[in-house]
Amino acid sequence: MTFEDALQQALNGLSFGALLFILAAGLSLIFGMMDVVNLAHGAFYMLGAYVALSVTRATGSFWAAVVVAPLALAVVGLAIEPLLLRRLRGRHLDQVLITIGLSLVIADFIRLRDDWGWGATVRALPFPPGLDGSIAVAGSAYPTYRLFVVAFGAGLALLLYVLHRRTSVGALVRAGVDDAEMLSALGVDTDRLFTLTFAVGAGLAGLAGVVAAPVFGLQPGMDVDALIYSLIVVVVGGLGSLSGAVAGSAVVGPADTFGKVLFPQFALALIFAIMALVLLFRPTGLLGRVRIGR
Amino acid sequence: MSERDDLASTRHAGIRMSRRKFLITSSAAALAAACAPASTGGNAATSAAATAAGTPGAPLKLGQLLPFTKVYAELGNSMKRSTDLYLKLKGNKLANRPVTVIYEDEANDPQVGLAKTQKFIDQDKVDVMLGVVATPIAYAIRNAVDSAKMIYICTNAGGNALTRTTTDCKPSCKSPYIFRTSFSSYQISEPIGEYMAGKKGVKEVFTFVADYGFGTESQADFTTGFTKNGGKITGSLKAPLASADFVPFVTQLKAQPTKDIYSFFSGADAVKYIQAWTQLGLPAAGYKMNGAGFLTEQDVLAVVKEQANGAVTSLFWAVELDNPENKAFKDAYQKEYNLLPDVFAVQAWDGMQALDLALQATKGDTSDKQKLIAALEAVKFNSPRGAFEFDKDTHNPIQDMYMREVKTTNGVTVNTISDKIGRVTDPGK
Repeated sequence: MTFEDALQQALNGLSFGALLFILAAGLSLIFGMMDVVNLAHGAFYMLGAYVALSVTRATGSFWAAVVVAPLALAVVGLAIEPLLLRRLRGRHLDQVLITIGLSLVIADFIRLRDDWGWGATVRALPFPPGLDGSIAVAGSAYPTYRLFVVAFGAGLALLLYVLHRRTSVGALVRAGVDDAEMLSALGVDTDRLFTLTFAVGAGLAGLAGVVAAPVFGLQPGMDVDALIYSLIVVVVGGLGSLSGAVAGSAVVGPADTFGKVLFPQFALALIFAIMALVLLFRPTGLLGRVRIGR
Repeated sequence: MSERDDLASTRHAGIRMSRRKFLITSSAAALAAACAPASTGGNAATSAAATAAGTPGAPLKLGQLLPFTKVYAELGNSMKRSTDLYLKLKGNKLANRPVTVIYEDEANDPQVGLAKTQKFIDQDKVDVMLGVVATPIAYAIRNAVDSAKMIYICTNAGGNALTRTTTDCKPSCKSPYIFRTSFSSYQISEPIGEYMAGKKGVKEVFTFVADYGFGTESQADFTTGFTKNGGKITGSLKAPLASADFVPFVTQLKAQPTKDIYSFFSGADAVKYIQAWTQLGLPAAGYKMNGAGFLTEQDVLAVVKEQANGAVTSLFWAVELDNPENKAFKDAYQKEYNLLPDVFAVQAWDGMQALDLALQATKGDTSDKQKLIAALEAVKFNSPRGAFEFDKDTHNPIQDMYMREVKTTNGVTVNTISDKIGRVTDPGK
């Protein structure tokens, strides 16, 4: 591999990692705050992509979809949390079952909506104008959109960091992650906070759907792929923390890409191997917090 | 102080617990997700009782095993549309027997496919079975079909071994009861290899295929054909099926010097491949895309459009194919569904057509299996793809292969037919 090739593949890995971060951020947030493994996360991602497809078709603007799809998914989240999840709080297996059920319903709903231009055929979301070309990187054409994805992922991480660390809502979320009962006892309406968190998490899945759709395409089964990748990312990085999602995607993205380059047959096995090693030697994930005697 | 420590340790345990729970629950989830479609029940489409003149014969029961969920769902939809249309045009009767079709979902899972086939045999007692998209499923049901002596017409799965004599019948082998109206992977891969090295004078090719049985088989058959005529394979690369990201692979194609690439991908993989191909500027760098026909079928072209321009692929059919049967088929299909048919619809259509003609020859008799097999072997007709007949030795079709180049005119992207290789027969015995 020449230096140019290695550089290109590093960029590929970085942009794949950025997409994984956008995808996993919502899952991690919901788990950290609410202790809910939201297995409908992949389906939310898929729904976001299809909503984006419809919005782009109707308005002709990708950027409209970037705004509308996350909002639409946030609304879905706002409805689902109080209706389905609230009464199952603390019952992990029941939550798992209900979120799997939800994901099957969403995936089948999409599959049957041929009349909306969804259905079971492969669909693609076109690259937004201006980002659909290539620019020269190290003397070779590189897709502009993938560079945009890296910038977008970094921007999102920064924004989430600021919200998390520097705002009062962020402080409440952090307090909720630490001890929701205590927070509730202090007079904070945790139900509302949970609903809000779930909505934001779902919205993030929707956002991932829009941003990833031009790269990954839209097809049946995309929900499961997305869910598996985001689970790997949060397990590797550490559950429930923003920095964990960043670390997880920074490891898994490039590992997946270089795995494909160096031993393509074992690319998926490689990232699972990394996950297994992390579980063995750092069971809380790379940046998972071990909270002893704090 | 000790109280604090206790509190801390319970908290610590709490976190560990929830993490363990997370892992248990998420693996439970993965399991459930993997099993879920197995429970999707079949749906039966029962035809109305025949009211046409003449006494109708005994009802004819057909079992169609097609994918209605997961990645190949749209292929199943297309083949079901084609089957339904054929029966509608025939007044729901074949050889004067009113037809019932039982549709089952193969769910892209050999175990599910086998269970559904067993259901056709034991419970539904179908007269003839058709369908199956995925080759591993066709291989998995082969023995069940053979030992039940049930006539089965395969309308997609293209694995070579399904219609060949193989050592110890591994992974599969031909059966007198199995016919195929689609293709073998040899047929869509070997001739284009011979053609590129021979008629096109291409000296070197790099291969890039999907890493599963069918992709590997297509690559091997292409290599045979290409090297037979003096071509040289300079290297090969495989991508796992349904890779999320194709850019790392295409970056590697671009990093090697051979300009002609041969590929086997279909559906979503083909779309991602072609998109990565244009984004990384391979056409401008002089690279040429070649492949087995599914790389540029309508489902793919509808999405990638002019990005596929210049790709050359081989297949036994194209929408653009100019013959009266294709025109009639396209018109009828479009009138019924307001959609262009695809190659999967053609395969299902020909499955029904072959069965129809054979049943006419046996006067509707399906009880004498040997008679029906002989009748199917003798079937010859003009399909939308051109002249169609079964190879009597293997029950695989003998058919023409068309070389097609993707072109865009007035904003419409199609496979234009640039050449034809006549009467391709699978070398199986």
